[in-house]
Amino acid sequence: MSKLKIEAEVNGRKITRETEPHKRLLDFLRDDLNLTGTKEGCGAGECGTCSVFVDGKLVKSCLMPVAKASGARIETIEGLATPGELTPMQRAFHKTGASQCGYCIPGMVMAATSALRENPAADIEEIKERLGGNICRCTGYTKIFEAVEMARSVIAGDLPETVLEEDKVGDSYIGANVRRLDAPAKVSGRLKYAADMKLPDMLQMQVLRSPHAHARILSIDTSEAEAMDGVACVITSDDVPGTDGFGVFVHDQPIMARGKVRHVGEAVAAVAAEDLVTARRALSKIKVEYEELPGLFDPEDALKPGAPVIHDYAPGNVVKHIPVRKGDIDAGFAAADIVLEDDFSTQQVEHAYLEPEAGIAYVDPDDVVVVISPSQNITHHRHMLAEIIAKPINKVRFIMSPVGGGFGGKEDMIYQGMLALAAMKTHRPVQLNFTREESLIASAKRHPSRVHYKMGLKWNGRITAIEFNMLSDGGAYGMSSEGVMRKAAILSCGPYEVDNLKVDTTAVYTNNTPSGAFRTFGGMQAQFATESMMDMAAEALDMDPFEIRRLNMMKIGAKTHTQQTLETASLDRVLDAAETASRWETGAPNVRGAKRGDLNGPDTRKPCTLGARIKAETKSKNDAERVA
Amino acid sequence: MTRMKRGRGMAASWYGIARTATIDRAGAWAELDDGGTAKVVTGVTEIGEGILTVLAQIAADELGIKPQDVTIGDNDTARSPEAAHAGATRQTYMIGNSVALASREAQKALFEQIAEHWDVPFESLRAFDGEIWALDTNLRMSMSDAVATCKKRGVVPVGAASFTAHGTGLDPVDGSGSPWQAYVFGTQVAEVEVDTWTGEVQVLGIWAAHDVGRAINPRGVEGQIEGGVVQGLGQALMEDYQTDKGHAITHGFAKYILPTSLDIPQINCTIVEDPDPKSPLRAKGIGEPALVPTAPAIMNAIYDAIGVRIKSLPATPEKILKALRDHVPGREHIAQAAREARAQAARTNSANA
Ligand code: FES
Ligand code: FES
Repeated sequence: MSKLKIEAEVNGRKITRETEPHKRLLDFLRDDLNLTGTKEGCGAGECGTCSVFVDGKLVKSCLMPVAKASGARIETIEGLATPGELTPMQRAFHKTGASQCGYCIPGMVMAATSALRENPAADIEEIKERLGGNICRCTGYTKIFEAVEMARSVIAGDLPETVLEEDKVGDSYIGANVRRLDAPAKVSGRLKYAADMKLPDMLQMQVLRSPHAHARILSIDTSEAEAMDGVACVITSDDVPGTDGFGVFVHDQPIMARGKVRHVGEAVAAVAAEDLVTARRALSKIKVEYEELPGLFDPEDALKPGAPVIHDYAPGNVVKHIPVRKGDIDAGFAAADIVLEDDFSTQQVEHAYLEPEAGIAYVDPDDVVVVISPSQNITHHRHMLAEIIAKPINKVRFIMSPVGGGFGGKEDMIYQGMLALAAMKTHRPVQLNFTREESLIASAKRHPSRVHYKMGLKWNGRITAIEFNMLSDGGAYGMSSEGVMRKAAILSCGPYEVDNLKVDTTAVYTNNTPSGAFRTFGGMQAQFATESMMDMAAEALDMDPFEIRRLNMMKIGAKTHTQQTLETASLDRVLDAAETASRWETGAPNVRGAKRGDLNGPDTRKPCTLGARIKAETKSKNDAERVA
Repeated sequence: MTRMKRGRGMAASWYGIARTATIDRAGAWAELDDGGTAKVVTGVTEIGEGILTVLAQIAADELGIKPQDVTIGDNDTARSPEAAHAGATRQTYMIGNSVALASREAQKALFEQIAEHWDVPFESLRAFDGEIWALDTNLRMSMSDAVATCKKRGVVPVGAASFTAHGTGLDPVDGSGSPWQAYVFGTQVAEVEVDTWTGEVQVLGIWAAHDVGRAINPRGVEGQIEGGVVQGLGQALMEDYQTDKGHAITHGFAKYILPTSLDIPQINCTIVEDPDPKSPLRAKGIGEPALVPTAPAIMNAIYDAIGVRIKSLPATPEKILKALRDHVPGREHIAQAAREARAQAARTNSANA
């Protein structure tokens, strides 16, 4: 391959490098210059984690061919302050707690720095606008806004520099706003996530994924790929030496498809090669013959007699059903003055952690198979991998690299097994970094849910009975479905003491992208239905929504839906706190928005003139050249 | 009809802390180290929530040193004790308590030596922020000197601990059981503006009140609430992973819409502290619970504004417009019946329960 000569000024130093012409500025910075503070969150100009300055302008380096950067003056997160120092902006991020997982933070600091360079007096509306091309999945942006405003005021001299320092501690560190100890590493881009790490002699892995939702694998021919120059190994499920299968509750998922594929994007084979390009090319040389099978795409279809069977061990396609019973449901409804009945549904949701899955595996000199990855459950992964590769447990070591957002989505061991197999086969370090597209199709989602709800109440607002039935699409593999159904069932009817209830939650297999653990683990799906019903009941009964909840709430000594006696209960206090803080105007929820007197307070933001999302979308389209 | 309509809604919620319907456990080791610093080793920590800092605060407080003098060794199954996983709103509760207990052990080892060295009762010793002293005396030294003294006497001040949360499994028939030993509760109020021409919803304010047991780092708790609220807002209004016959059609962030800086309401947090009686730290957790009430509060607010109830998330502009078109006025007749029944009950003064 002919090389391209790049001469540029990077962080104040002249550099000259030969590089591959296909590279983006992002690759050049990360791979050739080791400036890994600039992250790849999406590779498509949509997230801002790759933001750098080129000739003083904020650009997304994933959209710029490296050739275009030749001769330019480039500034990255590493160049904002002299090593060991932080700029006022970085210090403000540290002070306010604006970095959580940190993966968006270098890009966010660049965008924020750009905002103030463009307009040192930018107000909050302008700051928000100028940060509009940068996604943060962790913080809810609020502390980021606070940091940028703080930095602006310090730089302008409106606030003393001492506001950036840590608050004084009283007589205990419990309850103190100690600044995050990991923030300096995150705001400076110094922290190495798995994709930022390099080991000597390391191979790059790429994964061949299923194009079918449900198909039998008739044959896999890897010979041509294996024979390629630069390919170190190709692996399939045939390479698994032990008992294949992982999952949080049921070990129904093989490291790579075994005999059949159950969802689009499932791993079928993987290549480890000297470099990424070779690994990608080798994938196209692997020949897989499939026989397509009828697929299941709706959870209700999965329960019909004669439905295709996704897993032999579960002929009815049920992953898990959790029943909860209390009291006498018939008597409860018979005693009701009114009965409300309705249906609710929630969608599949992506975790969208800014750090796509990434990892490294190697075999250490003592024959320990080591996997470094942002795994949320190294303990369980170690157990499962030991079985899969048939090694004693102390010969398997998991190291959790800094996690660039998890939210439950990094609890599933969807790629660590492949890395381990390739490392064992080659005895070289192997790295796999997912693309955003790969992350989207291969990782678990929040369970979509359908709830049928029946609630009986007395005229005075007291609930007499609840019937709650949830059906959830678990997708192709069990992952966390069992636990999610359990938590949904336990929490189902909300924080109210209900004497008579009948709750059922069921997750089924389909050929959709698997559902798994996601922050609240079924709790939000269930309580979305309950809290909607509570307001509908409040309207029907002409009661204030706080009032109907207080009337039914669990107190100390209450029996929960699973008949546990509560020894503490704070719903009374949080209801009071929210009601007071929001200056809530009492009244039934009967579309009284137009008449309310509690709207538009100083504790709300101003509406945007345009729909916020419309604005954000159009903006990200032409962001590459946008001057912030 | 005015185009922009405002409304408010609220929702309450509850959540359990640590692993569900099972015994949960976590281990930690602690050592008071040279210079009055400390090493704390535990199995699993940071996924972004700030637990590293929380653990350093806990260890510092228990040991009598500064958080920045605590080094946490973590996240390695071959080098640290098991602490299980980073999820289930369990880290502050499980790992926080095990770090607290291990630190107490280490401090006890040090205090025993210093008590003998100073010839004072063990109980009279106190340590905070890098200093150790004996009550009602002038005896005082730095923790650095204390560790050196302890080591000169032949003792390395170390501790180890395991913390257990006693959940029980659910009965397979009626689901009865005690899945958690600690529960938290939350309530959120949402204020929205709905554009009745485009169907766009903007959330202008959120008031979030959450019980966390005890806030170790209040700013960190706020960060968790703010992040949870915005994820809830995303699910409420825009996020939607869609597939067609199993093929993703939202395969990038251009198609899969996430909240950005322009979507963010003013988030007003109120931290409520109802201490956990069953654990030494008395803290509970906030990571997941913060998200639970957001979407229903927003849907209830949309209803308040425009009289249509979205029962199928997300409440996209298309859904809002369709619902506005299909809108049939609601439950006024039932409400009237309820009012009459209550008035009747009041007149006859009979109990209505
Ligand atoms: S990686 Fe460049 S915008 Fe996402
Ligand atoms: S801190 Fe912004 S994505 Fe995690």
